[in-house]
Amino acid sequence: MNDLDLFPYPKNRLQKTDVDLAASLQGLVEKEIMDKRLEFKEDYKQLLKPSLGKLMAEIGLQKMFWPEKLGGEEHNQPSASYTIAAALEQVGRADTGLAFLAAHSLALQAALALEDYYQEELCTAMAPLFCEGDQPLIVSFVLPAFAEEEGVPEWGGKSLQVKAKSGPGGWTLNGKRVRPTCSGADTDLIGAWCAVEGEEEPAFILVPGDSPRLSRSPEFLKTGLAASRNADLDFAGVQVPAVNCAWRGGEGYRRLLSWFYLGLAAAGVGALLATYEILKKWGDTRVIKGRGHIFKENPLTGALMGEISKEIAMDRLLAYNLAEMLAEPGAYGDAGSEGVFTAALMIAHHVYASAEYTTHRTMELMASAGYAKEWQLERYWRDVKTVQCHLGAYELAKHDFARWFYQAKTL
Amino acid sequence: MRTIDDFTRPLEYISPMDGLLGSIFREWVEKDVMPYRRQFDEDYKEHHLIHPPFKRLLGEYGLQRMIFPEDLGGWGMGKSNYMCVAAYRMFEEIARADTGMALAFGALFWPLLFIALEPHENRRLLEEFAPMFCKTTEPVFSALCMTEPQGGSDIENVEIVKGTTIQTTAVQDGDEWVINGHKLWPSNTGGLAKLMAVVCTTNPGSNDPRDIAVIYATDDMPGVTQGLPYEKAGMAADVNSDVWFENVRVPLWYRAIGPGDDAKYFGEIMATGNMGIIAWISGSMMNIYERLVEFVNRKRYHGKPLKENDGVAGLLADYTAHIEAIRIVGYQCARMCDRHDLYGPLWDPGLVAKMRAQRYLALDRFIEATGRVMNLMESYGTDRDWDVEKHWRDVKILQLVEGSKQLCQIEVARWFYECKTL
Repeated sequence: MNDLDLFPYPKNRLQKTDVDLAASLQGLVEKEIMDKRLEFKEDYKQLLKPSLGKLMAEIGLQKMFWPEKLGGEEHNQPSASYTIAAALEQVGRADTGLAFLAAHSLALQAALALEDYYQEELCTAMAPLFCEGDQPLIVSFVLPAFAEEEGVPEWGGKSLQVKAKSGPGGWTLNGKRVRPTCSGADTDLIGAWCAVEGEEEPAFILVPGDSPRLSRSPEFLKTGLAASRNADLDFAGVQVPAVNCAWRGGEGYRRLLSWFYLGLAAAGVGALLATYEILKKWGDTRVIKGRGHIFKENPLTGALMGEISKEIAMDRLLAYNLAEMLAEPGAYGDAGSEGVFTAALMIAHHVYASAEYTTHRTMELMASAGYAKEWQLERYWRDVKTVQCHLGAYELAKHDFARWFYQAKTL
Repeated sequence: MRTIDDFTRPLEYISPMDGLLGSIFREWVEKDVMPYRRQFDEDYKEHHLIHPPFKRLLGEYGLQRMIFPEDLGGWGMGKSNYMCVAAYRMFEEIARADTGMALAFGALFWPLLFIALEPHENRRLLEEFAPMFCKTTEPVFSALCMTEPQGGSDIENVEIVKGTTIQTTAVQDGDEWVINGHKLWPSNTGGLAKLMAVVCTTNPGSNDPRDIAVIYATDDMPGVTQGLPYEKAGMAADVNSDVWFENVRVPLWYRAIGPGDDAKYFGEIMATGNMGIIAWISGSMMNIYERLVEFVNRKRYHGKPLKENDGVAGLLADYTAHIEAIRIVGYQCARMCDRHDLYGPLWDPGLVAKMRAQRYLALDRFIEATGRVMNLMESYGTDRDWDVEKHWRDVKILQLVEGSKQLCQIEVARWFYECKTL
């Protein structure tokens, strides 16, 4: 039995193509990323960017949802959620940052090109960016954030970082020191959630990274996710065609994020599976309390190892449960519904809280090897914490949960 | 406006030097460390940025001399009954800016405790090493070389393992010791250490504590080699590396105290080391508090400063409650380490167990509470410019030095429940 199969997941729900894709990704990431990271560490140019190219362009994760007539693979049924779960846990196992970037691309593809949501004109405009050429297309989002000034447009208590104005030539976008979710330094396509001048409903507008009047600050240093070279953005009258507005209002926002949270949950599970593999090697070989006492056989450390495996197993089941919810809109509601969105948000938060707990505990078991870069564990610890922070403040997410379950009105 | 100085300290037993030391360290931190600390991670090998503030503090201000007797050019703190509460203040102030610097600073005194404290002061060795530290304005580091490749924390677990796993040997040859062995992870190595205290065995495989020896070597002795700095998740100012000892010959009188006592007084390093860790945690948390105050005042939610949201306020209160508790406990620990007349000798296993208990409790609280703060700050929580993430990375490492959490738990249970076989 493959060690990773020790952690149960609903195998019968995956199609053969999903299983094959996961197996091929497992081999690829071991060869192209895991075997090379002692040498290249977290080097973006030598390791992460080429790996991103292989995953997104060569393997074709960025072409998955688009119609065949537009150059895609037309994997555009809701059950593609299982494909995302199976694929991104393998990518996340090798590098959580790469899975984080892939989750952006797959969520946007799903929200634009799934059969039920398909918009012909917009997809015709966007698909070539994803399907033509052999380079990875890096997608990032601009989501509502805490304001720093009074009187700025709000959405759910937070400010909309970009303001959009509709005109005869399309949309004009303005925003200073805008923080995207990832890759501000080199993103190719930005999905920005914008306040619309004179209107209440915000708009989700797609902005190509090479748009005139879009400028980028220098990359800033952060805890983890080396694959995401993030930087703040300035929109100084950036103009895009009218068709680039993907949707207006809350339903589209929730739909995009429900799919995004699935990708993030799977990426987190991947990081946890890697954590398990590192700890297993440690527990099998380490001797404590003098000669002859194998680490995993000690009742104290063995119990903690057991708890860690319990967390990983539960998180994997939860991630696949979310895939199930997105795969069956007839049973659970659309991905854009408040119920599914709330569940997706809860699962993502749960997986990352658990991932934070689990990587902390694993580091404790491994002592100095836990924080030495040579043993690789610390990168997962930094990465999962960084993703968790991108999910948004948990204190405020709890209000989302309360709004749904208790019908709270003013939180 | 509230500041970090509004957090409680037990004023009834702070050291007489507290005000002076506090102002010196506060100014040094603000001027020499804070402006550069965000670049320390990338400076882990070269210490281009880290060396100048250490030169100022250790060499020019002379803090590296403080444990030596006054007649040898030191400040005589090794014989005071307020060494630890004074150290707590210093540690806290440094850790507010950079926990790695605080650890490197504290660890430089570990090897010297064996020879500078009563009742086991070793005057001859103090005279031997005092000029190295006291007659220079350059920073001088020392290292306590404990951990070995095969056993990790086993070396620290003296009570059970009793030194049986120590592979580094000291063999007497005439009037010299010949040291051979390989050490991992000592703080202040990677080429920094001038003086090393090497934990070794004079009789490999023996479980007799008299065979555990602490013997000094200097970096310029033939056969001493320090490796390249390890790359870690944080703590760039604390340099760790491999250290090899190949037929290193030192005089017999370079042994710290003597058979039985080297092992016995090793407990002093554990007690003060664990106390120091609590100080580094509270210093770090006070800086996180400062940054958090700025964040929740600047950032707005539902049209109001973030701090005015009741749900957020709950988290803010929790964080400060942790600082209050950890700081008071930390000072109490320091006082317990100083007042042997009230709390027993510094090496006593009971005192060590209590220090370990408070240390791991404080670390657990830090990790849980700071994780929540980072999450509240969303992407800025992981942004180096906001400083919180650096403290989070650095302090996590503190949980794993001087023995893992599980070793702490075992020692605490062993003492309080009189366990026999743990």
